[in-house]
Amino acid sequence: MTTRDLVLSALFAALIVALGLIPAIPVGALPVPITPQSLGVMLAGLILGPVRGGLAVALVVLLVVLGLPVLSGGRGGFGVVVGPTGGFLLGWFLGAVVTGALVRRFAPGPWGWRETAFAVLACLLGGIGAVYALGIPWLAAVTGMGLSKAALGSAVFVPGDVVKAVVAALIARGVRRAYPIDLR
Amino acid sequence: MTPSLYRPGTSRLHRAPAGLKLAALAAAGIALVLTGSLPVLAGAALAGAGLVRATGAPLRALRPQVTGLAWVLGVVVAATAVLDGPHQAAAAGLRLLALVLAALAVTLTTRASDLLDALERALAPLERRGWLRADRVGLAVALVLRFVPEIAGQAAALREAQAARGLRANPVTLIVPLIVRTLIRADAVAEAIEARSYPPEKDTTPR
Repeated sequence: MTTRDLVLSALFAALIVALGLIPAIPVGALPVPITPQSLGVMLAGLILGPVRGGLAVALVVLLVVLGLPVLSGGRGGFGVVVGPTGGFLLGWFLGAVVTGALVRRFAPGPWGWRETAFAVLACLLGGIGAVYALGIPWLAAVTGMGLSKAALGSAVFVPGDVVKAVVAALIARGVRRAYPIDLR
Repeated sequence: MTPSLYRPGTSRLHRAPAGLKLAALAAAGIALVLTGSLPVLAGAALAGAGLVRATGAPLRALRPQVTGLAWVLGVVVAATAVLDGPHQAAAAGLRLLALVLAALAVTLTTRASDLLDALERALAPLERRGWLRADRVGLAVALVLRFVPEIAGQAAALREAQAARGLRANPVTLIVPLIVRTLIRADAVAEAIEARSYPPEKDTTPR
């Protein structure tokens, strides 16, 4: 871990926090506006790679634990971590790592449309699959509702997250073409 | 821009060591998940409210935290009531309420720097094995806090510039330049840090 890796991770963590401060962006005719913070989690993996991306998200989670209101809507503190949605927060970390690992393994090169399509897939597996894989059992355990019910309740957010996966891949494509950095 | 949730004060909770508070919170969390008795859970929720009250924080300052919690709590209780019946719903609601209030009390009464110190101590075994450097964790946290207002300001400036050119809000055209600027900035900051030989090598001479 070089100083550059550390600074990249820290500044990307700051970016994820800052994305929580800007108001939600409406996308076309979609009923749910995009809240950019979980978009930042997918972007961390796509742009920085698994190690630095994971570290960036881990820093955001650490700040939440330390009681700073870094989540969108000014939420933060230990209560979020032990609360019903705490699993999704830990899932963010896993999601960034999985997304980054997939994209580093299968789409490291200059980004054409094939790589962009693959990045969407990486976001679906990491940013949605891995996040929900931790979030849903946690929700089920904390609230005492069954796994299937927790999964059903979380399914409401899947369409919005699919849109975010596409948007994240398009953003990553733009960034890679403007300012390519190595994935680590 | 990102003020801490910490509220200065002199209560007993404020004076308790951060590590102890975190350990107690973790223990309470495990105990509450294991019990299903309504009176015990109600008592715990009351105790949580008492703890928050004892911090002496004004209610107004708690509002953003509490409104978010109220939403989640309402959804969970309503869903459980429909699916599992009123007893389960009450238990789930009280358990959550107790945990989140206790956690809020810890957050309100503990400085971020104290929590960070407690964290550095908790990380010490990992540091001894050479898996990470606690001072680097501190540097990273400081960097995040320093750059959040900067990046948020840049996002606002980009948005304004695009609006002035008649562009509608679009996540791709807004976030791409924001990230590119952040990556370029990171290189400059990394160079500045290295030029100052920071963080210093660990002093390994015996005291």
